[in-house]
Amino acid sequence: MPVWQSIYEELKSDNFEIISVAQDTGGEEAAGSYFDDAKVTYTAIIDVNHQISSLYNLVNVPSGVWIDEEGSIMRINEGTYAKEHFDGAWGTNDYVPIVRDWVAKGADSEYVWDRKKVRESIIQRTADAERAQPAFRLGGYYFTRDNDEKAEQYWTMAQELDPTSWNYLRQDLEYEEGGNAGPEWRARREQVESAGGSYYAPLEIENN
Amino acid sequence: MKNLRSIVGVAAAMLISGVLNAQSATVLYNERVVELEQTLPDATDLWVKPEDLTRVNDFVLKPEGACLDELCIPVLQDRDSDMFITRGGQGWFNVTELADKLQQAYVTDYNDGIWSFGTMPVTRQSFLRGGKAPDFELMGRDGELVRLSDFRGKKVLLLTWASW
Repeated sequence: MPVWQSIYEELKSDNFEIISVAQDTGGEEAAGSYFDDAKVTYTAIIDVNHQISSLYNLVNVPSGVWIDEEGSIMRINEGTYAKEHFDGAWGTNDYVPIVRDWVAKGADSEYVWDRKKVRESIIQRTADAERAQPAFRLGGYYFTRDNDEKAEQYWTMAQELDPTSWNYLRQDLEYEEGGNAGPEWRARREQVESAGGSYYAPLEIENN
Repeated sequence: MKNLRSIVGVAAAMLISGVLNAQSATVLYNERVVELEQTLPDATDLWVKPEDLTRVNDFVLKPEGACLDELCIPVLQDRDSDMFITRGGQGWFNVTELADKLQQAYVTDYNDGIWSFGTMPVTRQSFLRGGKAPDFELMGRDGELVRLSDFRGKKVLLLTWASW
């Protein structure tokens, strides 16, 4: 997050905004200090209902979306880190340079996707996955009213309806024994990766 | 739906006879938590007063139907239907029937009378087919409402992350 703040300071005068949205049902208490510690001056939101993930069909964090001056999506659904962490254990140093390129060149940037590629990169939801979002929302309603039993009931329902969503799984595990990166998460991640899938949406940085 | 008609019939009959009063309900949609003082008791569907329809999902009941911007779903209002009934001079609009027509998903906790609605596919074609960024309205940490549409004319990098 401190890296995004420095990128923002570098690029903001070039008609550029960062909107950073925490997908955190725990609200300010869970996510606020990260924004404070990085002293962010870009637009910061704590989205307790994961509404941005619902609207943009995203299933994990971090995810990035490029939106141009007219409100058209230029790239979507990528696991976007500002830099590598722990010698490349996760994260990437390759994303920030392409953001810079886009901000400088706009539609002429070689990293801008065409309409077809954007459309194909939007995750299509099944009818069940569509129902997962109101189930998750209902669970969150109970969570914020300290009704843990019903929160668990509807969060479990959301995970069953949309097993592709890491948001739904890990937000729930955050409040269970083992935590959000514990044995259950590791097992699920290994399952996905051993089947040839990837945990983060792949970052494709290629020349058009 | 056949069952629905008979349930509505029974519920409405009970209403008229004064045995059962209209009951409260809570609707969740996007960031909204809408408390409804009166809905028509029904085991499977959510019937609200026409003025509450707009509070619930922005649709407005007009003579030509239930309308959201350019979109209008025809609704007969001079006789009872799956979408609209009149009891004792009070009209009731079936929000879940509208959701079904729009393929809008919902999940209900019947015991607590809470109805949670998902995104409306009909409002999302420009995103799913056209790659337009869906607009949103969320409270920023500084207490100001943030709308994506307020950033027209700028490039926006929208980032999600989480503490978990």
